[in-house]
Amino acid sequence: MSGQNIFDKLQNIDRRVFYWVLFITLMVPFIMPIGLPVKVVKNTRDLYEGVTGDNINPGDIAIMNFGYGVSAWSECAPGFTVCAKALLREGARIVFMGAHYDVELSYNKLRSEAAEDFATKQYGVDYVFLGYFAGGESAIAQLATDSWTVYPEDHYRTPVSEIPLMQDFHGWQDVAVVLSSDTGDVGSYFLRQWQGAHGTKLAEIGIAMNGSTDYPYYLAGNYFGLSIGSRGGAELEVLIGEPGEATTAMDSINASHILIVLAVILANVGYLVQRRQA
Amino acid sequence: MAYPTATLDVIGLWTGWLLMLMIYSYPLYKENVTYRFAEHIFIGIFLAINLVVNFTNVIRICVTPLLGGDFMMIVPLVMGIMIYTMLIPEYRWVSRYPIAVLVGAGFGLGMRGVIKPSILDAIVSTITAPSTGAMMDWVNFLYIAVGLISSVMYFLLTYEHTGALQAPTRIGRLFIMIGLGAYFGNTVLFRFTMLTGRAQFFLQVLKIIPM
Repeated sequence: MSGQNIFDKLQNIDRRVFYWVLFITLMVPFIMPIGLPVKVVKNTRDLYEGVTGDNINPGDIAIMNFGYGVSAWSECAPGFTVCAKALLREGARIVFMGAHYDVELSYNKLRSEAAEDFATKQYGVDYVFLGYFAGGESAIAQLATDSWTVYPEDHYRTPVSEIPLMQDFHGWQDVAVVLSSDTGDVGSYFLRQWQGAHGTKLAEIGIAMNGSTDYPYYLAGNYFGLSIGSRGGAELEVLIGEPGEATTAMDSINASHILIVLAVILANVGYLVQRRQA
Repeated sequence: MAYPTATLDVIGLWTGWLLMLMIYSYPLYKENVTYRFAEHIFIGIFLAINLVVNFTNVIRICVTPLLGGDFMMIVPLVMGIMIYTMLIPEYRWVSRYPIAVLVGAGFGLGMRGVIKPSILDAIVSTITAPSTGAMMDWVNFLYIAVGLISSVMYFLLTYEHTGALQAPTRIGRLFIMIGLGAYFGNTVLFRFTMLTGRAQFFLQVLKIIPM
């Protein structure tokens, strides 16, 4: 092996070395923040403006769907939290629901992050947590026509007939806006069964992986706004003027992206040099 | 979120931290007994939660209304039981009926809302020229137009990709490769963002950074 040059060595590097470098690279910016600026793009601004100002009225009902689990908190939770804060500050009423078993953990986190906004609101009147729903797209379609049959009671087993907010929520016609934050398909269920079928105002707070599939729907006007991944979350935090979890994580994410770009360049240079030598 | 103070919460936090390290010991070191232990715990707990949640849902959505006099609920209940006949080879054919109903209903439901947002709106959005004179909007418009037409042409499999079809289909293949590359890149970077969350959690539990 003594005849190996630097490119040969890079081609045969143990992948565990890369994982260690990556893990350390991700952690360093948390300890020593760089503070790179976050530029707000149009799709995120449209989302924020769609849930603030003249676009939402006090008393309007908004559905916020947790389509993500604990594992995707870093991608979805910051942006979703900003939207909840914005809606509560506008006086909108929020119906929280979710398609993941661990939806209660995500809901508790959101409540904890927006504790000041929830402090002035009353459960059952200003917001309600319906919890997990089973049935996938059928349930979402049914929710549009008769929400009480999908959720006969809220997460805490209180019948919806005893919840004041739910007296005004029977189907799609009662809802001003739907915000869905997803790692999977639930956003597309709302797209088909609410936006496509009834023209409901819908926005997505999605993961970066789905950015390229969500974006055409934003361009076509099916989503009035779109937040993509942690970056979108950081942009929303900039818009509401409260730097939070996503803003803090952006340095780390940027560092990991730079590392990947360097790794791709190095690997390709190594490959080309090796091919030339051969 | 503040650092938890309740004993049970602190135990939960440290348990999560330890299990995370056990899982990461596989990529950072090699397969070992701690990794397998954490993996088995994860699978076991996941199955247990799945079972409890689904069983509770069947009771809540189906059995309780049935006992309350809603006899229509016997239909989904019987169909659900029919699916389990696939475990008995000689009665496996019975399970095909509920599955056929499920597939049919799912297809019908999906098609109901898919035409407008995924086909009509997408076509209109693609063929509509930018309303502003911004150069980048026109570049995007032309890029998408060329990409769409050439990519669709690549799938004209009833004609050989020679002659007049050679150039556009090659361009189409290029666009497809760029699209798949971008999608793969997004996927990798999404996983890294999840890893960022874990790195943050790692430091938060150790109180190196605030929670």
